[in-house]
Amino acid sequence: MSANGAESLQLPKMVSETPDYNDAYDAIIVGAGLAGTAAALTMAREGLDVLMLERGPAPGTKNVFGGVLYTPTIRELVDIDSAPTERYIAEKRFSMLTADGDETAVSVRPGAWRDEPHNDSYTVIRRRFDEWFAKQAVEAGATLITETTVTGLIRDGKKIVGVETDRPDGEIRAPVVVLAEGANSLVSEGADLKESPDREDVAVSVKEVFKLDRDTIDDRFRLDGDAGAAYHYFGDGAVGQAVGGGFVYTNKRTVSVGVAYRVEDAAQGQTPEETLDAFESHPAVAPLIRGGRRIEYSAHVIPEGGADAMPDLVHDGAVVVGDAAGLVLNNGVHLEGTNMAVESGFHAGKAIVSALADDRSDEAALADYPRDLENSFVVENLRHYDWFQQTIADDREFLFEDLPRALADAETEYFSMDRTSKDEHTDAARDRLLEAAGGWFGAAKRAWRFRRMLS
Amino acid sequence: MSTAQPQVPDVSIEDRLYTVKYRDAGESHLGVANPDVCTDCTTNECAKVCPAAVWTVEEDGDGVPHIAYENCLECGTCRFGCPHDNVTWEYPKTGGGVVFKQG
Ligand SMILES: Cc1cc2nc3c(=O)[nH]c(=O)nc-3n(C[C@H](O)[C@H](O)[C@H](O)COP(=O)(O)OP(=O)(O)OC[C@H]3O[C@@H](n4cnc5c(N)ncnc54)[C@H](O)[C@@H]3O)c2cc1C
Ligand code: SF4
Ligand code: SF4
Repeated sequence: MSANGAESLQLPKMVSETPDYNDAYDAIIVGAGLAGTAAALTMAREGLDVLMLERGPAPGTKNVFGGVLYTPTIRELVDIDSAPTERYIAEKRFSMLTADGDETAVSVRPGAWRDEPHNDSYTVIRRRFDEWFAKQAVEAGATLITETTVTGLIRDGKKIVGVETDRPDGEIRAPVVVLAEGANSLVSEGADLKESPDREDVAVSVKEVFKLDRDTIDDRFRLDGDAGAAYHYFGDGAVGQAVGGGFVYTNKRTVSVGVAYRVEDAAQGQTPEETLDAFESHPAVAPLIRGGRRIEYSAHVIPEGGADAMPDLVHDGAVVVGDAAGLVLNNGVHLEGTNMAVESGFHAGKAIVSALADDRSDEAALADYPRDLENSFVVENLRHYDWFQQTIADDREFLFEDLPRALADAETEYFSMDRTSKDEHTDAARDRLLEAAGGWFGAAKRAWRFRRMLS
Repeated sequence: MSTAQPQVPDVSIEDRLYTVKYRDAGESHLGVANPDVCTDCTTNECAKVCPAAVWTVEEDGDGVPHIAYENCLECGTCRFGCPHDNVTWEYPKTGGGVVFKQG
């Protein structure tokens, strides 16, 4: 066993021989990802003794994301300037791709993003960031044990009183258990704290990291210094017949490329590898990664059930945070889970501190956590976009096939260089768009349905 | 609309998995709950959804998937993909399995 903490810690050989060991900790955190570490930091700073259990050889070794780390809450917990970030996001680009090779894109580069705090958006390598973040918790007094998988919860009646691990005699008891185990929440599911989501509510994501020179990345993406880019793609050129999207993010010397779409669509026969191949070879994407060397292939699921699919967040003796609680916003325009993971860990940590101050850890005593989360951006954003996922699924053909193609045709028409007048081209372009949208009436109906995207 | 057909990148699943680092846990963390259910299953979604070609069902075999657990990326997709809830899935023991360098 390796312990990354200041002190090396052995699990008790025989629980019965060391009965006092068990309540050595105020809280046990299952998973040293973003949510778990945020909870550990919050509690350790308030003087609690907390134990983080991580199944990987080091924090981050099991974790995959796009990705852009959103840091508004992390900034409150640590000195973000000393964090291993890659680039700040200076440009976001939203792009529709057709399978015929068309691209229609909107790019935003607000000048303000170039200034601190850079809209709190940075690309990071999870392997590096998660380890650094966990180290901050250890420096604040938390204990971290790696290579230890939590295999179940211990109950006393209804109340959760500790965890079982895959270590010999590896039971550990504590007043509160924080379930921060991510999207594959085997412990929470095994203990009936949540149901396993349906495959319509889970996305599969595959990603590759390409190594390129820093200068090449700067030139291709029009960047300088620490500026970076986040490109999001939709349409059948991005994910074929599926509901989902593709992404390209710049790190310092690498570019991350990936697709994420419903497991349901993969089960229907559109395999992750084929989808990634098609995306990487799209004429709008291939030149961005040309000549890059593949340095890592990875995959992970993303919960996308939204607010409706959120399980109960508190139980007697336990709280559920981050991806384990389904706190991800993934709808093509937004792919955000890091900010929600940290925010939920932070609120859970605070709630545990105040419950334990009263010597309590029952569900009612921990109720500050769901209440604070409900009042935070997390649940608000999830609710706000709940309708969207369903609307996309219902309107997939229009949004992902007809619209991108109609836009491409309309642009071709509008910008066409021939001897027909601009007026005629404009009319033809408008007709093409209207035709795709189902005439004026269809367009109005659709505009109404999607109005909330902007509200 | 362009007529240029996109070129599929010249990369195999073997090439891709070659970039991934693993620590062999020595035993499979994946399995099927009831092999008979696999025999009756004609859709083999486990194989379709897996990004690492871990699950393969032989054309004229008994229909029970072969599981190359050593290639597993621990993404979790097969847990959700099987419509018969027949995939058994644990984490590899004591830190074994995939070790991402980037993530
Ligand atoms: C491909 C992809 C792209 C994404 N892109 C973005 C993006 O660009 N921006 C963004 O904000 N979000 C993105 N997300 C979402 C984001 O990654 C997650 O929301 C976030 O990582 C959730 O953090 P978490 O701490 O809840 O879970 P995780 O980061 O998954 O951490 C869980 C931790 O628990 C450990 N663990 C699990 N089970 C056990 C156990 N039984 N015992 C011990 N340890 C255990 C794991 O090893 C892991 O360290 C993306 C997700 C994916 C998959
Ligand atoms: S695991 Fe599920 S999907 Fe795969 S063959 Fe068995 S029953 Fe079919
Ligand atoms: S967890 Fe992912 S990589 Fe592993 S077998 Fe299942 S689908 Fe394949």
